[in-house]
Amino acid sequence: MKKIHIVGIIVIAVAIGVIVYSLGSNASYANFAEAISNPDTEYHVVGKLNKEIAVQYDPKINADECSFVMKDNNGLEKTVILHKSVPQDFQKSEQVVVIGKMEGGNFHANDILMKCPSKYNAGTPQVQ
Amino acid sequence: MNNTTTYIGEHLWIGQIGNSFVILSFITAILSTIAYFFFAKDNSLNSEWKKFARLSFSLHTISVLGIASTLFFMLFNHYYEFSYVWQHSNNSMPMEYIMSCFWEGQEGSFLLWTFWNVVLGNILRKTIDSHWEAPTMAIFSLVQVFLASMLLGIYLGDYKLGTNPFILLRENPDFANLPFISMPNYLAKLDGRGLNPLLMNYWMTIHPPTLFLGFSSTLPPFAFAVAGLWKKDFTTWQKPALTWTFFSIMILGTGILMGGAWAYEALSFGGFWAWDPVENSSLVPWLIIVAAGHVMMINKNKGGSLFMTHLLSIFSFLMVLYSTFLTRSGILGTSSVHAFTDLGMQGQLVIYVLTFIFLCVVLLIHDKLIRVSYIICSLLLLLISIQFGHKTVLLLSWVVASIILTIHSYILNFPKEEEEENLYSREFWMFVGSLLFLLSALVITYFTSIPVLNKLFNLEKAPLKVSDYNMWQTPFAILVLILIGYTQYLKYKKTDKKIFFKQLMIPMILSLIFGIISSIPLYFIHDYSSANSTQKWILISYSLMLIAGLFAVFGNLHYFMKVIKGSIRHAGSSIAHIGFALILVGALISTSKKQTISQNTSTKNVASLGENFNAQKSLLLTKGDTLQMGNYFVTYKGKERKGIDVFFNMDYFTKDEHGKFIKAFELSPMVQDNPRMGQASNPDTKHFIDRDIYTHITYADLTDTREAKKDAYKEPTNFIGHVNDTIFAENAIILIESITTNLTEQQYANTDSTLIVTAVLKATDINGKTYKAYPRYILKNNAVMPDAFELNELGLKFIFWKINPEEGSIEIQLSEKVSNTKEFVVLEAYEFPYINILWIGSLAMIIGTIIAILERRRVNKLSKS
Repeated sequence: MKKIHIVGIIVIAVAIGVIVYSLGSNASYANFAEAISNPDTEYHVVGKLNKEIAVQYDPKINADECSFVMKDNNGLEKTVILHKSVPQDFQKSEQVVVIGKMEGGNFHANDILMKCPSKYNAGTPQVQ
Repeated sequence: MNNTTTYIGEHLWIGQIGNSFVILSFITAILSTIAYFFFAKDNSLNSEWKKFARLSFSLHTISVLGIASTLFFMLFNHYYEFSYVWQHSNNSMPMEYIMSCFWEGQEGSFLLWTFWNVVLGNILRKTIDSHWEAPTMAIFSLVQVFLASMLLGIYLGDYKLGTNPFILLRENPDFANLPFISMPNYLAKLDGRGLNPLLMNYWMTIHPPTLFLGFSSTLPPFAFAVAGLWKKDFTTWQKPALTWTFFSIMILGTGILMGGAWAYEALSFGGFWAWDPVENSSLVPWLIIVAAGHVMMINKNKGGSLFMTHLLSIFSFLMVLYSTFLTRSGILGTSSVHAFTDLGMQGQLVIYVLTFIFLCVVLLIHDKLIRVSYIICSLLLLLISIQFGHKTVLLLSWVVASIILTIHSYILNFPKEEEEENLYSREFWMFVGSLLFLLSALVITYFTSIPVLNKLFNLEKAPLKVSDYNMWQTPFAILVLILIGYTQYLKYKKTDKKIFFKQLMIPMILSLIFGIISSIPLYFIHDYSSANSTQKWILISYSLMLIAGLFAVFGNLHYFMKVIKGSIRHAGSSIAHIGFALILVGALISTSKKQTISQNTSTKNVASLGENFNAQKSLLLTKGDTLQMGNYFVTYKGKERKGIDVFFNMDYFTKDEHGKFIKAFELSPMVQDNPRMGQASNPDTKHFIDRDIYTHITYADLTDTREAKKDAYKEPTNFIGHVNDTIFAENAIILIESITTNLTEQQYANTDSTLIVTAVLKATDINGKTYKAYPRYILKNNAVMPDAFELNELGLKFIFWKINPEEGSIEIQLSEKVSNTKEFVVLEAYEFPYINILWIGSLAMIIGTIIAILERRRVNKLSKS
């Protein structure tokens, strides 16, 4: 057996390790219903901010907490408590992804990703 | 669309020129490919194909330069009748950003890439040995065919091929039916949308051209390697390709590091590297081209490793293509913060990537029968997938077949080394190091490709976290750093063990001593005892990486001083290796010891939710207040608006031995009130030699409080209470001292006189000064007419409007003036220790690589003459 074969075996071992690790990791996209049935698992929930209900954020009480109502892709609405400061331009978001888990009837998120449609394509030609 | 409208002032001719160049560039690229292909088959120097091929490529060069100059000319003259010009520039924009407008959009960045390919193609054609010209330039031209097609914007049936930079504004489907289309004179009053203000900085001027030159620079090694497969000459291309490979290492590396510096200085990631898919997709080709360069060095000095030199040179370019697909097809969706939006080119980009993989496999296959069957089967699979779907299964079976055929042809056609590699040889460990780079790149690619896998297999996997990337990359970093430390001491083929270990003694001892000594305060004093077992392993791995990093630095330093005796000319690799090691050490320390100095003072503890929730780092800072942040005391002085930028000025103080504040420095983090992108936070950083203090605003009110309304009252708040209760206002605490009436209950019942109840309030301000207020509740003829009391000194107004006899409580409305509310900001601040090690390392790596390239050129010239 050549030394280079040992190296080959290590390569294959790493490849298997990476695949097993990534398939085994729990983090996946889900909706609120799945998050409710598995309260201890972390999920990425995709949905839309309910813009009719005001986003609650009072930095004087806690600068690292804001709450809002989000509707997931199945139409289920839940209050999300985000343990961060309120994202900039939250109202303009088209889609949000919250990362966290259900606890006590609310979804507790430790991070949020937003998609703003305007990011590169805002504005139309206006002639006065 | 109204076809009868005659528009005034449009410069349609320039668009026609531009479009002619676009079409010409596509056609000449095809002609050049065909001509070089036949020239490569018939390699006589006077062939007609040769002349025709060179002519086509020259015409192609002219047309690409033509497209670029036309677009530049349009931008410079603000011809807003063209969609691209309208989208990316405007009248008020300073001229120095014209170049940035050029490559802000998707079309312009493809054009930039095409441009660099043409530049490199011409240099390659002029400098190359004549028998390599035809095959390499054929590959170059084929790549250009694909890139030129990205700018066509032609419809083939329903399918749009590419997006054209010269489309007219009124023909842009996004703006169909807008009022301006019916106005013949629309241009007279039209201003462009303008460059995104977030990108109006010098980084946007220098980073994209460097990075795209980096992407282009992977093409020459690729073209050489494919030419090698094609001509079944696996060795002679390697020598001319080596300089190109090292150029690619240098320039692509520079581009990536610039991107990191931009993110750190001007964007609010809170760091220089976030394992974002867009960052990863430039890092992966670099890791592979570094591996390719090292395997090519083995080949040059000792021979062999032929398969790996081909594989890696080809792979690096293919990964650039795959990156282009990832970042420009819209497949990343929400998993990246700065991917391009989808321009409907997903199909085209997939075909682009697959075509080049296909081409390489075809050229690898030696046996004619197998080759023909592979080509037929591939085309058949393509047709079936278009006609009947099942794309995932078909694609996967094709990939598996391609891999099997690749391995098969490797076994059959590539010469193998007969003898066992010597453990004490440079080539063995360089090979292992290259393999580690490749492996590391593959792991990153796999992680980054999760959205692609989701799409292929209908999975719902979430993208991986920064900590996952760090965990998987740390072992690679440790092993690579150790290899970098000792491999240069080994000679090619065989080394005397005794001398080897003797030379290594000093760097080994130094790195162990310094590594362990500095690890203790960094990782083992505070953090280790409170860590759980996973965290303990992580801390140990950090410490190992630090020792390995120091070993790499000392190893190369010692090699530079003792073995090559300080000769700068020969020190390229040592300097570059020291630089690379310093980058990793700087990244390790500044990331692992990054301190959040803005601590949330709220008492609420959310740690019970899990460790991901334990990052309470937002600090509320009210104007005029001084709060402690790390070793500093910070005062928020107020905000200042300059155009669309709002600066928040903060003073940082330190305390001297008498407890007196001494101003240390000022920072002005900025929030851009960007009309196109909304608010964008721009950090400000104080640089010290040994650390950086980084501050950015996460929440702030951008409206100008100096304007009017200062004396207006805000929405009142209602307070229900009893005597001796307190009311909290923004600027005072108010005690209900007593309640007095002018009449007794009986008197009121008996007469029709007016009942006046007075609440005696005592307000105490922040300085302890007290004020009295007497709001009155007046009841006359059963109608309540409260008499408000304004306490002007404190900007407060009290209305005593209700008495609840059953509960014995009273209700008071409190209004506060707008000016009472102090301005505040919510910020995050970090300390990055020793981040300068990273930047010094970056410079050293770039300089070292340049020295190596210059030395290689010098030696090549000497050997020629």
